[in-house]
Amino acid sequence: MNLEAVIVGAIVGFAVAWLVRRWLAAARRRKEGGCAGDCGCATKLKPKK
Amino acid sequence: MSTPDAGLLVALVGNPNTGKSTLFNALTGLRQRVGNYPGVTVARKSGTCDLGDGQKVELVDLPGLYSLAAASPDEQVVIDALSGNIAGDRRPDAVVLVVDSTNLLRNLFLASQVAELGRPVVIVLNQADVAKEQGLRIDTELLSRRLGGVPVVMSSAWKGEGILDVRRAIASAVANQTPMKRVAWPTNIAAALTDVATAAAADTGKPVTEAEGQRLLFDTNPSTADRLGWTLAQRDKTLRSARDRVRNSGYNPMAAEPLVHYAHLRIILEGVVTEGAGKAGRSAAVDRLLLHRFLGPVLFLGIMLGFFGSVFWLAKFPMAWIQSGVDWTKTIVAPPLDAYPMLQSLLADGIIGGVGAFLVFLPQILILFLFIGILEDSGYMARAAFIMDRLFSWCGLNGKSFVPLLSGFACAIPSLLSTRTIEDPKARLATAFVVPFMSCSARFPIYALMCAAFIGPLYGPGWESVVMVGMHCVGLFFAVPTAFVLTRLVLKVKPQPFVLELPRYQMPKPRDVLWRMWQNAAEFVSKAGTVIFAITIIVWALSYFPRDASVAERIKASNPTAAEEVVKAKTQAAYVEQSYMGRFGKAVQPVFDPLGFDWKITVGVLASFPAREVIVSTLGVTYSVGEGAKADSQHLRKAMQDAKWSEGPRAGSPIFSLAAVLALMVFFALCSQCGPTIATLAQETGGWKWAAGSFVYMTALAWLAGTAVYQVVIRLT
Repeated sequence: MNLEAVIVGAIVGFAVAWLVRRWLAAARRRKEGGCAGDCGCATKLKPKK
Repeated sequence: MSTPDAGLLVALVGNPNTGKSTLFNALTGLRQRVGNYPGVTVARKSGTCDLGDGQKVELVDLPGLYSLAAASPDEQVVIDALSGNIAGDRRPDAVVLVVDSTNLLRNLFLASQVAELGRPVVIVLNQADVAKEQGLRIDTELLSRRLGGVPVVMSSAWKGEGILDVRRAIASAVANQTPMKRVAWPTNIAAALTDVATAAAADTGKPVTEAEGQRLLFDTNPSTADRLGWTLAQRDKTLRSARDRVRNSGYNPMAAEPLVHYAHLRIILEGVVTEGAGKAGRSAAVDRLLLHRFLGPVLFLGIMLGFFGSVFWLAKFPMAWIQSGVDWTKTIVAPPLDAYPMLQSLLADGIIGGVGAFLVFLPQILILFLFIGILEDSGYMARAAFIMDRLFSWCGLNGKSFVPLLSGFACAIPSLLSTRTIEDPKARLATAFVVPFMSCSARFPIYALMCAAFIGPLYGPGWESVVMVGMHCVGLFFAVPTAFVLTRLVLKVKPQPFVLELPRYQMPKPRDVLWRMWQNAAEFVSKAGTVIFAITIIVWALSYFPRDASVAERIKASNPTAAEEVVKAKTQAAYVEQSYMGRFGKAVQPVFDPLGFDWKITVGVLASFPAREVIVSTLGVTYSVGEGAKADSQHLRKAMQDAKWSEGPRAGSPIFSLAAVLALMVFFALCSQCGPTIATLAQETGGWKWAAGSFVYMTALAWLAGTAVYQVVIRLT
């Protein structure tokens, strides 16, 4: 496997992993009662413990 | 950020539209923190307020409310915060009551209720400039004396006047701990209050304050009793006999509290306000025109047309500059990577092409939120709600549905959360169900792309704003009958009166408008650099792989005499078609064929189900894979304008015909394409039933409406 394929594979792999991690975090926030949207609203923040 | 001294906490309380948040901004500057109250989705906004001489306090801006009789979660938060009943929050050391100077009697009712909590109070008579303009003179010293010596200061937070006096007054209240003069309850009511507080304390084993006793006696909402743990069985008899006692003294138990408070306030305000000659009624004169039964909606439509027309016109040049910047970046990045075609395609076609296609709409987003800010701050948005009220009351929605529906034009998620202010659960459910129909700002880029690429060039720039307004109305057009069926036939919601306070017209404050515009632009750019960036890379990979070398050989062999450029273009097209994305798009395309979508549009539509704005970057990638650095200015638009059907009965005709463009916009106006919205709807309705119903209903409706538009328009053109 050449270096070009490794770099491209790493970039694509990183993008997939980042999106999956983000969606899992959003699901967790929703479970805690917060807003999991991408709207930038204040309610996106986690509720105070 | 500096931190407050000695942990002093000061709460800012007031009626809506008194300039409370403007005063909060003036007192705290940009030293603010935004969070949530635990367990509820009500924002907790706090900041550090410098009182002078190095003394600092934490100032918390509580939600606006008219009285302490809690009906909604945000009103309950105010009561809990003032009583020190919020976990992790202290009881405030002082309360700043923000009062509209032009309406002292009504605004001081809340102040009079807060006085019952026994906390030190500062009265800020805000909007002093408007009172002066109306010829009102207020004797603050006399009012302060009558209120028991609490500081009373005048300010005009909007103009930044009197802010130093407010700081000094807070310092004085914190130091002197002077409570406001409390109302004198008639003997029978006082006795009833004592009975209720004593019985509640005895039944629950917890101390019950006089203020809590008043909430227990006067409120129909059982939130205070629930919090104390005073069960219905325990309280029913006590409350019944206490309310009978109030009734026997000549008061309706449900009206006794305001009657006694207003009588108390009328005595206090005697001689405090004197009226001189002023320019009262200017807002009323403007409202006679803007809220006219027939002229009002016509002017509203005209304002909206001008609004969207200006967005297109003003954004034209900055958009061209950004597009040039994107193209220039491609020409810099691509050539050094000629030896690495895969990496070159990822950077030039995927990342720069996809993210650039999205970022090019930044000027339109900036101008859109600038105008929204101006309309909100000038006071016109509330008038727009009033105009729309006639339409929505017809379809049976609760009056309080307007704020969520109106804010749904920006984003559905905070709108769904704001439905919590609606007390009737059925009305709340119906409102939440129709909120996703409102045309949120994520739909804007696809409308803008289609208008700029097809509607403007074909029919002239005026039609761009007409189509834009039309697309924003499509959602409303379907939301109204949906709400009608839901409220009247399915949920059987009882109609409730709608009370809307119209704020005074005022010149928008540039700092506030620009700040909100900046926040939205930052969100847009941040999305381009995160979610859109990541999705673009994935869409590129699916459109690029697999790359079988035999494809190029086959094309070359079947076109032995063709020029090299032609062979290369045919090879690139064949690669995209046989990519994972191409195969998937072609497999699903028959479903969208009745709407006139080819496989590339189908791919864009499918990729947009998690977030609808992804279609622009997806089209940017699928129309540029293989193009590399050759992409000229406005490449995506041109590529879409040149795209033709390659096979089937439509072979040779443009893919983006007027019928397909309109069908695509109508589909996006109605389809449920936002993962977070669906999840939030499930969260707010307590399960997946309504969320799944909304997804199926909206998507089916979008398909049917898109098909109808395509089939009708294709036959007419």
